[in-house]
Amino acid sequence: MTWPEARATDAGLLVLHALRCAGTISLARLHAITGLDESDAESELIDLGGDGLVTRLSGDMPGWSLTDAGRAADAERITHELEAAGARERVTAAYERFLVLNPELLDLCTAWQLRPVDGVMSVNDHSDPGYDSRVLARFADLDRRAAVVGAELSAALPRFGRYRVRLTEALERAASGRLEYVADSTASYHIVWAELHEDLLATLGLRR
Amino acid sequence: MRWIRALSPEAEETAETLGGKALGLVALHRLGLPVPPGFVITTEGCRAFLRDGRLPEGLDDELATAVADLERRTGRVFGGPDKPLAVSVRSGASVSMPGMMDTILNLGLTAEATEGLAAETGDRPFALSARLNFLTSFASATTDAAAPAVPEEHPGRRAGTEEAFLTRSVEAVEDLVRRRSGRPVPDDAPQQLRRAVEAVFSSWDAPRARTYREVNGIPHDLGTAVIVQRMVFGNRDGASGTGVAFSRDPNTGADAPFGEVLFGHQGEEVVSGRSTTRPLRELAEREPEVWAGLLDALRRIEEHYRDACYVEFTFESGELWLLQVRPGRFVGGAAVRLATELVDQGLIGREEALLRVSPLHLRHARTPRIASAEEADVLARGIGACPGVATGRIATTADGAVRMARTGPVVLVRPETSPNDMHGLAAATAIVTARGGPASHAAVVARAMGKPAVVGVAGLTIDPDDASVTAGGRTVPEGTLITVDGTSGDVALGSPRIVTDAADEHVRRLLAWADDASGDHSARDETQRLETAHTALRNR
Repeated sequence: MTWPEARATDAGLLVLHALRCAGTISLARLHAITGLDESDAESELIDLGGDGLVTRLSGDMPGWSLTDAGRAADAERITHELEAAGARERVTAAYERFLVLNPELLDLCTAWQLRPVDGVMSVNDHSDPGYDSRVLARFADLDRRAAVVGAELSAALPRFGRYRVRLTEALERAASGRLEYVADSTASYHIVWAELHEDLLATLGLRR
Repeated sequence: MRWIRALSPEAEETAETLGGKALGLVALHRLGLPVPPGFVITTEGCRAFLRDGRLPEGLDDELATAVADLERRTGRVFGGPDKPLAVSVRSGASVSMPGMMDTILNLGLTAEATEGLAAETGDRPFALSARLNFLTSFASATTDAAAPAVPEEHPGRRAGTEEAFLTRSVEAVEDLVRRRSGRPVPDDAPQQLRRAVEAVFSSWDAPRARTYREVNGIPHDLGTAVIVQRMVFGNRDGASGTGVAFSRDPNTGADAPFGEVLFGHQGEEVVSGRSTTRPLRELAEREPEVWAGLLDALRRIEEHYRDACYVEFTFESGELWLLQVRPGRFVGGAAVRLATELVDQGLIGREEALLRVSPLHLRHARTPRIASAEEADVLARGIGACPGVATGRIATTADGAVRMARTGPVVLVRPETSPNDMHGLAAATAIVTARGGPASHAAVVARAMGKPAVVGVAGLTIDPDDASVTAGGRTVPEGTLITVDGTSGDVALGSPRIVTDAADEHVRRLLAWADDASGDHSARDETQRLETAHTALRNR
């Protein structure tokens, strides 16, 4: 079977879509999500801002976010990219496999945050390294299966490849003792996973 | 028989072989309580299946014998066109793994048997809807279909359109199974049973179940038993339904049955929290005989366990059946009150009461409340599902709750919750849902986590696009500060005054016993008093 060669997504759409999937974000996070240099990302933001698609927020949590027009533009462009690559069927199939893994990821995040003590679910205070390493081992096992889905996705649309890089990075950091990379940090496994989930829904035009 | 045991008072094996669920059913049999007839395939059969990758030698013959026996006892025919026998196929391991494994309902309803059921009952929509429930549960057990396969909207029971809708739905699910698994749903009852048993055995090794065992320190080699029972239909007619009941109130420990009932529905719908259930008490008015039977059963089960208990039940045309039983597993103040009142009732002694309450429960017992509902600006009122008070900003999605919780406490406000909201529930400081009753997913999870929760808030709507919440004619945006009282069910704007009930009579009584047991009457904090008593009792 042959498919049309999927082209790399242009930087403008990468930036637009990152805001669609991750919400209001800083330049630093935009760099982490897209892999673009901060200066390149910023110049894309300024162009998108000129078109009225993104807006810069100040205040307590400064950052960039989509305008309503930006949301509509992203939906149109991301659908166009999907159809042009003839990738809808493959992304849908991968999304269905993702949905099988998703409950397990949520179970694992919960197990990371809470564990039963005397029949009462209590906050995991991370004082038991044996427990934490059991949970992390299951994260690693899940990640091996998620990598298969990730490979299918990036074969269909190369931009999905960033998620694999970020998920691997989060897991490696967590394994090296930086526990916030499991579910707390904005670069944590859970947050990256949730962004991938949102991306799949946005790409396929589905609602949760 | 080597792999199968009848569910009967005479069954003499342990949870390791029969599984906890089947053992509970055997206990019910011994108490003379109504349990649908059935049999159990042992965990040994599961271990053989997992080892060899196929059902063990001889199981087919034993299944045929067990089914023939069930046909004799029920006077019905498995997959037959006349008086068809339908069964439920459920997992039941020796350790509790809630929601991890599969259940198949109404199995045996082949196309022909469904017509037989329609003719027998004179209610074709009922028979079709039973077949649809079978196909849906079969599909989710035998394929990787993660999304629910059944169309969400059910039309009312209007004969013509409902039949057409059900017929279309049946076809849609059959198609889904064919597409996902590459083979059709067998239209042969024994084949259906074989596939269902394989599916339940296989579900023991599903990655999600492995993860659950791994993090909870449960061995992987236990396997699950499979329970096959004659199906009872909670959706049979107006005098049918299904429900769950605690023998006492799991929030307070008060000695009054507590739970919920769903008239005219089958099993799973109560626990899912997707349907709006009615308070258990309504059973007393609508089905007084079922209610009386249930009260009697709860009392007898309590005496047997010498503990509060939880049952799942169904009533079909006014006849009560018990489908599952377990001890109540109360926590916090409810555990303290239960322990002291079981002593008053002569079911346990003071020492056992002390040992049943952990210091953690004692800490949970000091539950705060909103000082005065009159003083507070109450936005909405629902059912208090887990006691305690918490204040936080409204989040309308689980992901939003996780994100917002980084900068301060969050109250997750949802139409309902599912296992997919777990990360949001974990991140939130309190939970509010529009739908569901006290045993809904949100309520059970909230209690397990000891988080204040209010469920079943009638008239509460959540607008996901707008990220806002509307109740009692007022709309407030995500991020608004609210306070949740999980005892009274009040949801108030802002942060009203809160009190802690420091003079809990039951805690004082228990701690007086604790001091007697340890012989130490000096002034110490409550937890220490209980811990000293535990040490003294354990060293005796």
